[in-house]
Parts: sequence; C-alpha cells; structure tokens
Amino acid sequence: MKKISKKTLNKSFWRWWYGNLTGFSQEHMQTFGYMWAMLPIIKELYETREEQQEKLTTYYPFFNTEPQIGAMVVGITAGLEEARANGAESIDDEMINGIRAGLMGPLAGIGDSLIVGTYIPILLGIAVGLAEGGSAIGPLFYIVVWNITSTWFQKFVYDKGYELGGSAVELIVGQQATAFRESVIVMGQVIVGAMAASWVNVSTSVQIATNSEGEPVMLQGQLDGAFPGILTMLFVLFAWFLMAKKNMSPIKVLLLFVVIAIVGNIIGSDILFGFGSLIG
Amino acid sequence: MTFFQAALIGIMSCTAASTIACLGTTVGNYTLNRPLVASLIVGIILGDVQGCILVGIPMQIMWIALVTPGGTVASDLRAVSYIGIPLAYVGAKAAGWDFGGADAQGLAGTISAMTGVIGITLFYGTAMMNLIWQHIGWAQLDKGNMEIVGKVDCLFPLVSHFVLSFLPCTLLCYYGSGAVQELFSVLNTDMWYVKALLTVGSVLPAVGIAILLKSVISKPTDLIFFVFGFACAKSMGLTLLAATAVGAVFALINYQLMMMKAGGVATASASDDDDEEDI
Repeated sequence: MKKISKKTLNKSFWRWWYGNLTGFSQEHMQTFGYMWAMLPIIKELYETREEQQEKLTTYYPFFNTEPQIGAMVVGITAGLEEARANGAESIDDEMINGIRAGLMGPLAGIGDSLIVGTYIPILLGIAVGLAEGGSAIGPLFYIVVWNITSTWFQKFVYDKGYELGGSAVELIVGQQATAFRESVIVMGQVIVGAMAASWVNVSTSVQIATNSEGEPVMLQGQLDGAFPGILTMLFVLFAWFLMAKKNMSPIKVLLLFVVIAIVGNIIGSDILFGFGSLIG
Repeated sequence: MTFFQAALIGIMSCTAASTIACLGTTVGNYTLNRPLVASLIVGIILGDVQGCILVGIPMQIMWIALVTPGGTVASDLRAVSYIGIPLAYVGAKAAGWDFGGADAQGLAGTISAMTGVIGITLFYGTAMMNLIWQHIGWAQLDKGNMEIVGKVDCLFPLVSHFVLSFLPCTLLCYYGSGAVQELFSVLNTDMWYVKALLTVGSVLPAVGIAILLKSVISKPTDLIFFVFGFACAKSMGLTLLAATAVGAVFALINYQLMMMKAGGVATASASDDDDEEDI
C-alpha cells in the first residue's frame, strides 16, 4: 500500500501555490505549473524513471482555472494518483483528465466571482478606507489579511481534495455552498452600491432656471433633492450597461468616458458637465 | 529619481506582473500588483509613503475589481502600479499640488488609464515570450528530461520579465520622471486642455466600480441591491464597513430563504455556517 508522505504533499501544494501561473502563456496557461506540482508525487509513487515519465504525460493536456480555488483539483488528482499507484483499475488517464476538464470551468466561474470579484474588492475597500490621509495601515492591513486567509483557504481546499477525492467538490458546488455563495454576492451588491456612493462623484453645473428672487436654480441641486447622488449612480449604471449588455471592453468604456468628460469640459463647465471626485 | 530607485521599481514590477507575476498568484498578482500595496512600496523607495499612498488610492479604486476570465486581461496593473504611481507622484510634486487634492487625484486617474493600456501590451508580450520556454520544455520532455518542467514554469520566465517588465518600467521611470518633472513644474492648470485632462481622471473611478458591478450582477433585479447600497452610503451616510454589516443581514436572510426552499434545513445548518464563512 503506497501512501504519499505529508512532506511530498506539502511540496506539491507549495509548488502549486507559487507556480500555478508563473509560466503563463496563452497556449498552455497553467499546464506547466500543474505538471511541476504533480512531479514530486509521481516521483514518490512510481519507482522506475520510465513509469514516472509515462504518468507525467497524464498531465500534459491543457489546464486553466482560477488557481486559488483550483488548488482543490490538484489535491483531488494527488489522491487519484495515489489510488492508481495502488492498483485501482478504474483510474486511467481518461478518467483523471475528465475530472480535470470537468472541474476547471465551474471552479473558475466560482473563484472569479467570489474570490477575485467579491472578497478581494471588499478587503481592498476596507483597506482604502484605512489608508485615508495616506496612512500605511491600509495597505499593511490588506497585505496581512489577504495573504493569510487566501493561503489558508488554498491549503484547506487542497487537503480536502486529497482526502475526499471527487466528492470534495460538494463543498463548493453543493446546495448549501451554492446558497452561501449567492448570499455573499447579495452582500457584495449592497457593498458595491456603497462604494460607488463613497468614491465616485459625478456632478453637473448646468443651470436650468432662475427662481423668483433671481437666484440660479442648479440642475445638480434639483437632482440631489430627488435622490442624493443620482447622477453618479446613473453614470456607474451606464458604464455597467455598456460592459455587461453591449459587451464593450473596460478600456473602450474608459476611452468613451474620457471623450464625454473632455467634450463636457470644453463646451464649458458652466454649460454641461463638471466632474469631480471625492475620496473617502 | 535616481537610477537606483528606478531599478528597484523595475524589479518590483517583475514581482507584480499581473497573472504571470514572478512571485506567484497570491503574493505577486493579488498583493504586490494592487496599486494600494504598490503605493506603499513605491513610497518607501521614493521616500514619501504618505504622498504615494494618496496618489495610489484613486488608481486602486479604478482597478478595484480586476478579473481575468480565461486569461484575457482588462489591464495588467504592473504598469499602473510601477510606472503610473511614481510618475503621477513626481508630476504632482513638481507642480506643487496637495497629493490629496482634486488636481493630484485627477492626474492620478488620467495616468492610471494611460498606463493601463501599456500594461496590456506588456502582458501579452510576456505571455508570448513564455511560449519560447515552453517549446524548449516540450522538446526536453520528449527526451525524458522531467526536471525541465520546474525551470520552464518559474526560472526561464524571469528572462521574459527582465525584457518586458524590468527594462520598460525602469527606463520609463528613470527618463519619464525627468520629463514629467520639467513639464509639471511649468504647467499652467488654467489651460483648457490641462483642465480637461485633469477632470477626465476624476470620472474614471465610475468605470472601475462598474467593472466590479458586472462581477456581482447576474440579473437586472440584482441592481436594486446596488441602488439600496448606494442610498445607504449617500442618503443615510453609512460608512463602507457599516454598509457591509447591512449587506450581511440581507445575505443571511437570502441564505435562510434559499435553504428553506431547498428543504427546510436552514435552522439545522447553523453549525455549518461557521465552516463556510471563511470562503
């Protein structure tokens, strides 16, 4: 009965943690990082060099996912490789690659929306708040909290993958996990609203009328009377609409906004838009 | 800026080269690559932590949610963080602006957008160059040299970083800072085009927030939560952390509703909550 030693599993994990994307190219993405992480395991489980080489070819096919949550897949294949070395006949190249290919899409979606799209922005949001006035506490807070929690999480899913095999995925796509994930995203939606209100400030200096005492009536004041900051909100929603519904790339939207702002400014800040941003 | 300082910034840009960062995903891409973290490091190198962080904040907000689905990048922040921040700082300093003031913040936003475009070029360049190492890798693997895998994955790409991160960042910081300094010390902010460029920078955070919004909205009704969060902060004056607490209440209600729909196990799952909270 062969068993992967704790030391080798750790080695494999840290190799993945560090090297999952360091050799990125559009063609192979995380493939080399994956092979590098599997190499110590294969070397320990199989004795002859020929056998080791043959087993490494299992991991030649393309691999790409959100690498942090994807640590689970590496853990799962470590477990599968151990079972195969012990003679489990149902485990062959096709089966292992079926699992790899089947998991990388869903895990990428979850990792991108939950880790990169929600968790990191929330942490950064708090850090920006702490950095107000140029305080180093903000970035230091982010460096410490992010690296500890993220590394812990990756080790956790790697170990779970190794222990539970394919059923580890239940932790991430099971009913409870799905409910949890979608609920966190609800929280994210509220937070993004609050971020937009605190960090972006789009205003106009258009004068719409003169009141009975001869004082100017400003559009900005009228709008804010109806819904404070509504112009800012509409601009954010407009940018979202262009990207989400019209499939414009962020860079194109940026350039479009540059044009709008410049035109607004040239026509004259007292006629069209005047933009200003308040941080904090 | 001395050449030594520029070279240090150049080295940092290699460690933080987006998804290909030579210090890996967690430390490289998601820590050192973030403008807020970079502003601290650039601040240490240039000897003004406070000023650099103030310049870095609007850049961070603009790129707060940088998701790279399938390896297609919206931007590679190595250029924003390690070309944009030093140049914006030098410019604002030469012009004599208050780093937290509207002019400096606007300049930071504008430079952030421009350097973001440079970053994309550097990203695809590095990825292309890595293909060379991988070709070598496959050939060696065919010959049975398994140990090549580690070298292809993390040693050879350092050459790509030297050519496409270190050289451009160091040179742009070194020569660019001199040019920027000269330009900004005589800059007249009353000129219409200078005014326009500065105001442009301040509207761009709207795009950053919209990128973030895109990653959390899956159906139009979700936008109601966004509007709710906006009203919380703007009309009711909640801070970001307070709004997070309010959002958490709605998240909990949503969780319990979903679990109830799934078979009435919401109350029984209280102990499992703790396990998953960390995700």
